Amino acid sequence: MERIVIVDGIRTPFAKMGTDFNFLGAQDLGRIVAREVIERTGIDVNEIDEVIFGNVGQPSNASNIARVISILSGVPDRTPALTVHRNCASGIDSAIQASMKIRLNEGDCYLVGGAESMTNIEVELVKPLQDELVALSKAKTTKDRLLKMMKFYPKFFNIKKSLQFGMWLGLTDPTCGLGMGGTAEVLAKEFGITREEQDQFALLSHQKAIAAREILKEEIVPVIPPPEYKKAVDADNGPRDGQTIEALAKLKPAFDRRSGTVTAGNASQISDGAGALLIMSEKKAKSLGLKPLGIMRTYAIAAVEPHRMGMGPAHAIPMVLKKAKMRLKEMEAIEINEAFAVQALACLKQLASEVFAKKFGYEGYTGEIDPGIFNVNGGAVALGHPVGTTGTRLILTMLKHMQRNDLNIGLVSLCVGGGQGAAVILER
Amino acid sequence: MSISLKVENDVGFIEFDQDDSKVNLLTSDMLRRLDGILDGIGTREDLNTLVVVSKKKGVFIAGADIKEIEAISEAKDGKAKSQEGQKVLNKLEDLKIPTLAVIDGVALGGGCELALACDYRLATFNPKVRIGCPEVNLGFNPGFGGTYRLPRIVGLAEGMKMILAGRPVPGGKALKTGLVDALVPEEGLSNSVSAFIAKIHKGKIPRDKYKRKRKKKGVALIFANSLIVQYLTFSQSRKSVLKLTKGFYPAPLKTIDLISKSYYAKREKGMDLEAKTFGELAVTEISKNLVQVFYLSEKYKKLTPKDADGIRPAAIEKCGVCGAGTMGGGIAQLLSSRGVWVRLKDINHGAVALGLSAAAKIYKGAVKRRKMKPADARKSFARISGTLDYSGFGNADLVIEAVVEKMSIKKSVFKELSGVVKDGTVIATNTSALSVSEMANEAKDPSKVVGFHFFNPVHRMPLVEVVATPMTSKETIVTALAFAKRLGKTPILVKDTRGFIVNRVLLGYINEAGRILEECGRMVEIDELMTDFGLPMGPFTLSDEVGLDVGIKVLETLAESLGGRFAPVGSFKKVFEKGLLGKKTKKGFYTYSGKDRDPNEEIEALLGDNDFRPFDAENYRKRLIYLMINEAARCLEDGVVDDPGAIDVGMIFGTGFPPFRGGLLRWADSVGIANIVDDLERFTNKENRQQFEPCAYLLSLRDEKKGFYGA
Repeated sequence: MERIVIVDGIRTPFAKMGTDFNFLGAQDLGRIVAREVIERTGIDVNEIDEVIFGNVGQPSNASNIARVISILSGVPDRTPALTVHRNCASGIDSAIQASMKIRLNEGDCYLVGGAESMTNIEVELVKPLQDELVALSKAKTTKDRLLKMMKFYPKFFNIKKSLQFGMWLGLTDPTCGLGMGGTAEVLAKEFGITREEQDQFALLSHQKAIAAREILKEEIVPVIPPPEYKKAVDADNGPRDGQTIEALAKLKPAFDRRSGTVTAGNASQISDGAGALLIMSEKKAKSLGLKPLGIMRTYAIAAVEPHRMGMGPAHAIPMVLKKAKMRLKEMEAIEINEAFAVQALACLKQLASEVFAKKFGYEGYTGEIDPGIFNVNGGAVALGHPVGTTGTRLILTMLKHMQRNDLNIGLVSLCVGGGQGAAVILER
Repeated sequence: MSISLKVENDVGFIEFDQDDSKVNLLTSDMLRRLDGILDGIGTREDLNTLVVVSKKKGVFIAGADIKEIEAISEAKDGKAKSQEGQKVLNKLEDLKIPTLAVIDGVALGGGCELALACDYRLATFNPKVRIGCPEVNLGFNPGFGGTYRLPRIVGLAEGMKMILAGRPVPGGKALKTGLVDALVPEEGLSNSVSAFIAKIHKGKIPRDKYKRKRKKKGVALIFANSLIVQYLTFSQSRKSVLKLTKGFYPAPLKTIDLISKSYYAKREKGMDLEAKTFGELAVTEISKNLVQVFYLSEKYKKLTPKDADGIRPAAIEKCGVCGAGTMGGGIAQLLSSRGVWVRLKDINHGAVALGLSAAAKIYKGAVKRRKMKPADARKSFARISGTLDYSGFGNADLVIEAVVEKMSIKKSVFKELSGVVKDGTVIATNTSALSVSEMANEAKDPSKVVGFHFFNPVHRMPLVEVVATPMTSKETIVTALAFAKRLGKTPILVKDTRGFIVNRVLLGYINEAGRILEECGRMVEIDELMTDFGLPMGPFTLSDEVGLDVGIKVLETLAESLGGRFAPVGSFKKVFEKGLLGKKTKKGFYTYSGKDRDPNEEIEALLGDNDFRPFDAENYRKRLIYLMINEAARCLEDGVVDDPGAIDVGMIFGTGFPPFRGGLLRWADSVGIANIVDDLERFTNKENRQQFEPCAYLLSLRDEKKGFYGA
């Protein structure tokens, strides 16, 4: 089977919601990384068969955002573009789509990635007010207009009741009614993972990310954001220098006031960012004389119950290993996205459980994960989690880590809102 | 046949198709033929509609023949010329059958006026459609009934605006203002025309074009026909024209006078007034000068080097720009706005940020002034990406270097670039005064190196000096000139000598202003002397705009290779040492706070307690301008350019030298070379001021009793 190579990739720094990238839409972040990959690899844009980007927030001013990114980054008008949406796995899915298309001989060169501006996910009118507004816009006579205005405005000025926040709606599962934080609490209770364990995990994530600040710059293109265009943002602003366990312990539970353990401190940060990868068939890369960063060997997508969405990796990992005919202990580095500290911990616990392996027929493909090879440069708790982008970051971060440390094989995985899990095995 | 009548059923088509020409012009010959055809139509009974069309691609009628207008030397001949056209167009207007102009391209000047004489106008969606009367730009008014008909068709305010700005409008705008009655696709044009004719005969569109104005409602209706509003329109137009032209250009003012009378007059009287004004304006020296400048700019816009037939310019799709300051940012903005992808490099993020912010600011301004749609601005700005290394330079078709003006740095940039760019990439330097050859010697392929000197602000200044070294290949020059054209700039091709044309001529003049300042101590008056002459700003204001540090650096470069006359004067050095650099430091010869500007009192103190001489306006003006003329003559003598036109183009488009003066050297011719040489000799001898010593080129012109432009 044709091998799929990742030629190169880049990402923006991740900026906490409403900070450095306040004035950059997802399409702007996306076109910056897409262009940067084009520039750095020197690829002739005419070689690109399709542009595929993952995005969750789907800004209404950039419908089919991949197409917008494609055009704004200088890919020819006649090259098609596809936006993929698999919630948190959207970025990974862009790479999966490319590899599938290459294997189907539909093309041999794809510019993929993820772009997300959580900051700019829209705030909408609630439905009754939308109706009033439409009625107002249809009013013909002055009298009618005045009457409709009198109906609309008094309600509208009650901001709290008139608006709904797209971002929070997006982070809520409509089938089980739980917010993502709620699903994390489900796991905390199911696995009996304590607040202290979670905070300890979070602290470690910050410490690892701070230590890796300089090396992570290898995968980051500095962004000079509008409206001032004054300073270059060249590092993630999530990791906190001098984070203490005491400070984490002080935070109140965010999703279950009374008996909860999940706080803003041990959950991933809501942030903005984009990443892009240039993916080709190995033959194509060779013919262009390019030296790839690595190989995308296998992928797997799993699905779980929506209210236990954080368990996704516990299923996706054995599935991908089985598909690749490999063992967990052969992995030289592993990344599991830290949507919530408790969710990552629950996955580790589950993977180590023989009962679990037996129940789902994963025997031989699970096991304990060595903390020394797990999320070595920190994870989303510290770095941030721009949902549509994280999958792309995981692949990029892993490949750069493998390159730096001369490793041959690595695995990345993440949980997916709605109850899924994705995993990819990368090779060098 | 250049113009013919074709009859299909009951519709007559007058087809314009000028022989041996890409465009149609309304020459006297054309007018006579048209007259004959109209006479014939007047007697025919079988036609029920007349359609006027052009058989040229993208052109309806491009205007009257400027050559004929240029030849007019007596006002009465001008008036007669105007009447000749009016008479024919009146005949067209008076035909019994309905008339329709079909515009599928440019309809300018006389072409627009011909369309206005028709009952109906139809234009296509062709983006080439431009309709309007640009005559005032050449120093005269529309003379074929345009001043009478246009304000009546599109409304007084809009009509005045179109005529006074002399800016033709695209189809969409023409439809909005009622200048055309409908827009139709180019595809199936003849069907659309037939359908429109059917509509006319069904009486769907009133035949009287002056009564078809879009119906106004409410307040607008009350005001549109009020005399007070009309009075205000005239007085406001006058005010804004005066503000814009400082009264140097008579054509717009006289046109306002004309319309303020003709708008209330019957056709015969209105036409008579128009013809009279046309006669008066067409013979003015200003108009003659503007026509010459028009020819010059048309010539240089299409500039190609000699013996370059068959050499194709290389396609430029992507550029590297080194140096992201204000200049680099401005260049990046310009390139990106013209569809070129830009990789903008500097040595730190702060500098790149400066460049991006300069570009973003220009785009923001363009959107605000509605010169650009937000989507276009977004798309264009996205073409710029910043970098600190040379990544992305490997596939650049052209690299423009705009780093600090220091030879050692420029050389190392050229050396570095040679290691990264592909074969065939043109490397251009934006240096304003340094040796391009010296930089070229550092390049792997010096034949690909060329100077490409923009002027600040890049997006506004229309000139580029393209500098060829002895090593530069013809292909490189062709590519550079074509690229300048693509950027919407007018190039002049100059030899690689210090300061090229514009800075060399201008800096000597600024230095002289410094000498005069030391003599009389009257900075503001010196500036006014030059603005009164018609320059957009005086020498000290200009220095503040550019920055005295830049000025002094260029002067020193010039002094090194061209002689002591360029050594910066003492007062400049003092001002520079005090850090009074100009606008960028908020303090220069003037002080700047917000929008206010005041003469800087520190300057006076720096001049010391000199025994100042009285202000001698006449001689000071001559010193300043004649010095420029002398330097320009030296440029011709040294072969920096071989055509005085290049210098006039350079000074007009690079420094804003007043076009109504015809250009520096054309103006010199009008003063008389002998007079100028006399004065220069007088200045030289008086106090042994070597800078005035007339150069050999000037002396030989005098001896041969010739001007820069010949006899």
